[in-house]
Amino acid sequence: MNLTMNSRTPSETTCILDIEGEVDVYTSPQLKQDLVQIAERGVKRVIINLSKVEYLDSTGLGVLIGGLKRLREADGNLALVGPGMRIQRIFEITGLNKIFDIYTTEEEAVAKEGVAL
Amino acid sequence: MTDTQISADPCTETVQLTIPCRAEYVGVARLTILGVTGRIPFSYDEVEDIRLAVGEACTHAVERTGTDTATIRITSTLDTVALTIEVTDNIAEADKAAPSEEARLLEEAGVDQAGLGALLMEILVDEVKIDTSPTGTTVLLTKYTPK
Repeated sequence: MNLTMNSRTPSETTCILDIEGEVDVYTSPQLKQDLVQIAERGVKRVIINLSKVEYLDSTGLGVLIGGLKRLREADGNLALVGPGMRIQRIFEITGLNKIFDIYTTEEEAVAKEGVAL
Repeated sequence: MTDTQISADPCTETVQLTIPCRAEYVGVARLTILGVTGRIPFSYDEVEDIRLAVGEACTHAVERTGTDTATIRITSTLDTVALTIEVTDNIAEADKAAPSEEARLLEEAGVDQAGLGALLMEILVDEVKIDTSPTGTTVLLTKYTPK
């Protein structure tokens, strides 16, 4: 059970975060810490690539909601990219697919979020 | 430290696992459940649903405990009708932790973290029953076997 994260910062106000593995009660504090640090750097738009996430539970959802709230309060956004069918289903059954902007590809997210690369 | 017991009789099969009530052990419970569900012709999605529901039940305990000594006992019982999984913790009322900063932040955002976990369990398995007593909480998850 592990979680790896790699961030790219194409501009001062944009961050693309690639996460891989399992986001659960054990690993979600690590994701939360990264999101808080990213927001504290002045980043307003975060795109999280979920295509390599194999497991996501309510604590992971909670961290993503917390990040979304923090960024939207700063006139930014947290968008999600490429969740697999299992992860997409979790967003659908909780109704969170209506709260988050979820895109199929990173290119689509970048274009729709108006992110300058 | 984990403790696993396996027993079988002609009508029912029971697998019992006891883990420390700590975040790093929830994955152990999920892996065990993966093995148990492999004995039943559930679909891939059903297996993943059960795995997530058990993870949520264990997380519910981990998030509430304020002590290092609490444990979670996961008892899986399979019969011809259903797989029932009982997730029992021994977190006494006095040992409960205060809500985490994350939980408070989510509450401010109008999101109930425990409620999100309970919602997932309700949707993922056929029946969910939660019993709370002064000595701990039991979550009973039932998933009917395919006909």
